Amino acid sequence: MPKTRRLALMALLTAIALTIFVVEAQIPAPAPIPGVKLGLANIITLITMRLLGKREAGAVLLVRVLMGAMFVGSPSTLLFSAAGGALAYLLMCLLAERFGPDRLWIVSALAGIAHNAGQLLACALVVKTPGVFAYAPVLAASGVITGVFTGLAAQYLLKALKKVKF
Amino acid sequence: MKKNNLLWGLALVLIAAAGLLSYRILGQGEGTVAVVSVNGEQWERIDLSKVRRAYDLDITTEYGHNIVHVEPGAISVTEADCPDQVCVHQGRLTGSGIPIICMPHRLVIEIEGGELDA
Repeated sequence: MPKTRRLALMALLTAIALTIFVVEAQIPAPAPIPGVKLGLANIITLITMRLLGKREAGAVLLVRVLMGAMFVGSPSTLLFSAAGGALAYLLMCLLAERFGPDRLWIVSALAGIAHNAGQLLACALVVKTPGVFAYAPVLAASGVITGVFTGLAAQYLLKALKKVKF
Repeated sequence: MKKNNLLWGLALVLIAAAGLLSYRILGQGEGTVAVVSVNGEQWERIDLSKVRRAYDLDITTEYGHNIVHVEPGAISVTEADCPDQVCVHQGRLTGSGIPIICMPHRLVIEIEGGELDA
């Protein structure tokens, strides 16, 4: 793929991820538990990693997290989502080669756990209250459930995108 | 490959089930002393068993604004100027185990456990 085309595709994917992120922030959280969210924007991170590669996925994620916090959220939410995003990204990079395209749901579920772990860790450091770790198990559960869902969505999307010539 | 997927699926279902179950069990701790803190600093310390009449605490900091409702035996957040309102939806806290957290405002409301108090 030519460099310009690659760059344009990355910009497009970032815009889609940001849109998903902002729209998701407008709908109520699925459960009244701090840190629980659908994480639909991760679908884009996953497919960017498959379509373009790890570095590109990292760039799209970074811009999405930074600009997402500008559109919705506050400086503290930026910190939490950056910590979660970074940990989830590292895990996805580690697992990307070990799991085939039809097993993205596993990668995504584990990334969901990693995201929530990073977020909780950042939160515990900020509020300096170890009591927040009481949320660790339920956040792991939420990471698995939403992660499987976003992973499957990415899988089906990739299948459909195979027909598209970039 | 097929079997491997099944194992992964099973493990993930187990994690999800255990996590959800723990949330129910953890939330049933004893204790009556509620500690309200912002950014790690204690703001208020209230023995809920000694509260006779309900009142509101106004917590306004550089991170945001919350109204904490204190009543006999329970504490809750009734107002927050954050977009997600998760802390408001968390409802009333009556025992130790699971604190109320308002992440964007760095607000934590905990009830200290009985004998496990550290």
